[in-house]
Amino acid sequence: MKPKDLRTELLPVWCSGCGDFGVLKGLTQALSDLNVAPEKLAVISGIGCSSRLPGYVKAYSFNTIHGRALPIASGLKTARPELTTVVVGGDGDGFSIGLGHLPHAIRRDINITYIVMDNGIYGLTKGQASPTTELESKRSRGLAGGDEQPLNPVLLVLSAGCGFVARTHAGNMPHMRDMMKQAIEYPGFSFVHVLAGCVTYQPRNYSDLLLQRSYELPVEYDKTDLGAAINAVRDGRFALGVIYKRPLEEVSATAGAASEEEWTPPDAVLKQDLPTE
Amino acid sequence: METRTEAMPASSATATPLRSLVIAIAGSGGDGVALIGDLLLKMAAHQGLYGILVQSYGPQIRGGESAVVLRIGDREICYEGEDTDVLVCFRASDLKRFKGSLHLHDESQLILEEKDPGALPDWLGTMKKPAFRHPFATWDGDVEVAGEPKNMMALALVCRALGWPESLAQQALAERFSHKPALVERNMPTFRKAYEAPNVPQLLQLKGHGVPLVVETGNEAVARGAMSAGLEFFAGYPITPSSEVMETLIDELPAVGGRVIQAEDEISALGMVVGASFGGVPSMTATSGPGLSLMTEMMGLSSMAEIPTVIVDCQRAGPATGMPSRTEQSDLYHAIYGGHGDFPRAVLGVFDVVHARDVMFRAFELAENYQLPVLVLSDAYVAQRRQIRDGVTDRRDKPRRWRWTPEDAPARFQLSEDQPVNAFRVPGTPGGTYLAAGIEHTEDGNPSADPGVHQRMSEKRFRKLESIAADTRGWVRTFGDPKAAKGIIAWGSSFGMLSEWIETHPEYRVFMPEILHPFPLEAFTEWRKGLDETTTVELSYQGQFHRYLSSLTDMNGVRSFARSGGLPMSMRELDEMLGLSATRKER
Ligand SMILES: Cc1ncc(C[n+]2csc(CCOP(=O)(O)OP(=O)(O)O)c2C)c(N)n1
Ligand code: SF4
Ligand SMILES: [Mg+2]
Repeated sequence: MKPKDLRTELLPVWCSGCGDFGVLKGLTQALSDLNVAPEKLAVISGIGCSSRLPGYVKAYSFNTIHGRALPIASGLKTARPELTTVVVGGDGDGFSIGLGHLPHAIRRDINITYIVMDNGIYGLTKGQASPTTELESKRSRGLAGGDEQPLNPVLLVLSAGCGFVARTHAGNMPHMRDMMKQAIEYPGFSFVHVLAGCVTYQPRNYSDLLLQRSYELPVEYDKTDLGAAINAVRDGRFALGVIYKRPLEEVSATAGAASEEEWTPPDAVLKQDLPTE
Repeated sequence: METRTEAMPASSATATPLRSLVIAIAGSGGDGVALIGDLLLKMAAHQGLYGILVQSYGPQIRGGESAVVLRIGDREICYEGEDTDVLVCFRASDLKRFKGSLHLHDESQLILEEKDPGALPDWLGTMKKPAFRHPFATWDGDVEVAGEPKNMMALALVCRALGWPESLAQQALAERFSHKPALVERNMPTFRKAYEAPNVPQLLQLKGHGVPLVVETGNEAVARGAMSAGLEFFAGYPITPSSEVMETLIDELPAVGGRVIQAEDEISALGMVVGASFGGVPSMTATSGPGLSLMTEMMGLSSMAEIPTVIVDCQRAGPATGMPSRTEQSDLYHAIYGGHGDFPRAVLGVFDVVHARDVMFRAFELAENYQLPVLVLSDAYVAQRRQIRDGVTDRRDKPRRWRWTPEDAPARFQLSEDQPVNAFRVPGTPGGTYLAAGIEHTEDGNPSADPGVHQRMSEKRFRKLESIAADTRGWVRTFGDPKAAKGIIAWGSSFGMLSEWIETHPEYRVFMPEILHPFPLEAFTEWRKGLDETTTVELSYQGQFHRYLSSLTDMNGVRSFARSGGLPMSMRELDEMLGLSATRKER
């Protein structure tokens, strides 16, 4: 199936020049490379410009509510493990209102791929600050939170124990295609941070500025080294590539321990009536 | 909905008056009072006796006073009774927290600690029989020290007084502690010594029908009822008084191929359920009021995207955190009206443990047939009680979702005059891909901000309620003389008390809806004909049920007896409220 066969007839509502176009293209390319049939594919999102994406992919798609794509995808994948399940959304959707769900989806290590189109702004609601909006940018534009530090989402998912973490740039098609492919192929929870531009509520050259701050991880970089991964995402620059990939033999070990023998307190006879709250 | 096993005598249908005994046991946290109740109930079930056990805790979270009230009888019982026939109490001071739930009468038998100097509180009432005193505690001078387990002694004394053989207790203990046989052996000498104590008084000798029965809590019945209706996926977040629904399913659902997730919060819990059901799998969650508040946005999504969900709300008392272990009927508004925008949902009410299974089956039937959220309102009083019930065999015809095939409509949300729902497109079905959305959408599921689309789609979604109302017009329970001039309207767990109260109040008839929304209005209108006096009875400070009915039909002249929850409504209280002199029960 060619990438364009994975597109619905619906035309994207995005502004021309929006970074999300590239993500749609990269995703359909990766899915095409992996030969995923539309009926075996579920694409789930919350709400935002970026969250409109599922409507443009031929799949069992679900445009849910703001911040809640991960629980819905987790339920779906648990009930229907044979479906390739991809979650897409924005930085506000995933790192603000929906952030509480992220470490738990990671802990459960359910095999879903989570792609965040991080444009550092609330696009849909017309340009408010998001958790990843730079301090300088908030101050100069008079946005709320001029004293609030931005969040480092990649460091956050690494610390939560995410087994596959990659970063890419929405303007670099081959790189994006490759990152998404690897993420979908990874047998546990995978996270792809996409640096995306918003031509309407960010400076026109925002996408280029992101690119200027980026660098590709060198070939000798050891992506199985969590310490190296954490170091790579701590400075203000954007490392692109697979930042961390837990060795496959360790994946199953974290995917839920076997149930242990039933445990009863030693004084079970006497303490039967303690209330629970 | 369910079929009772053939071997069961139709005990509840017989006209012979109920013979029953109310046994209350009060102690402190470490006394193991709940275990005595548990075991006595088990032993009653073994003999084919019926019963109910309710537990109440003092306000402290841990280690405070606790009491169980247990009622055993020769017919199905779903009310714990009015008066305390037997009171076992290790310390009179433990009683103070249970004001209002214990009442002595002339024939009451007290079983007390031999050396307890404490006086019984006045509110408890008085009895004519002398109390039986037993050396439960071990003393070092005036100081009580750790000794043999008091609960074993109490169990033995009650067994002896009831005329139940020691072997029955041994069997119940062995079952309860099947993983710790040595523990049972260690405790039996204590049991025997007390069982053989001199001058143990005799209590009413109850005779069961001999066919062993099942002991189940309301939460277990909800969980098992859901399983028998085809539940395959559950996600929940722990909350009193609903947690045992999840705990039961953790134990029982994976064994039959289902899956259970403990979510990070209730938003996620219902979100997971919506996701699993989007995948075509019958799914549900269970919670209590605070969790229902968080689930509200997902209720809207479930309805908007036309994805079946079943949501069990074990109501507790009050807003915010309220009183977690106390019962109330005050989530009715939230269940029926909660959420932004207009969206349809169905709301059912649970009467008791036996009814719970039946209700769960119906909930799944409505959810799967009509592709919307179905709320099941249980409450702390039903959820936490243990009840003895007849055995049941599951129905074989489980609810089934109408699955899309290429012969069905070309659009997922196709508008049609005669069809309230469309075939459900289950992921994996070739050619069926579509967009489900919480955004208003066209027939294809594509986002739309067209006011005409919104109007037509709202009509389409709300048409489901008309069909549901037609399907469920008989989902009511009425009892008492249909020609009686006075009427009581109530819902949910008031069922147990009212079904017994009516036996001594022939001048009344009772109406209880099993479905609260859409309300079975036709049946109600028919039922209320010829009434001179009507009263609604509920545990809600605002009188939510009464006000809800007023929005549906003429309730002029109908009295409302509404109070906040905490304790369930008693017969005595209802009599007082209705201006009837308190009627003493005949035994
Ligand atoms: C509960 C709730 N609160 C607020 C909103 C309004 N809202 C919609 S999208 C959005 C933020 C979108 O930002 P982001 O997720 O970064 O997506 P983008 O539009 O930038 O792609 C907000 C605040 C909503 N839909 N629901
Ligand atoms: S507002 Fe920004 S994010 Fe939204 S579509 Fe336009 S460019 Fe894209
Ligand atoms: Mg954004």
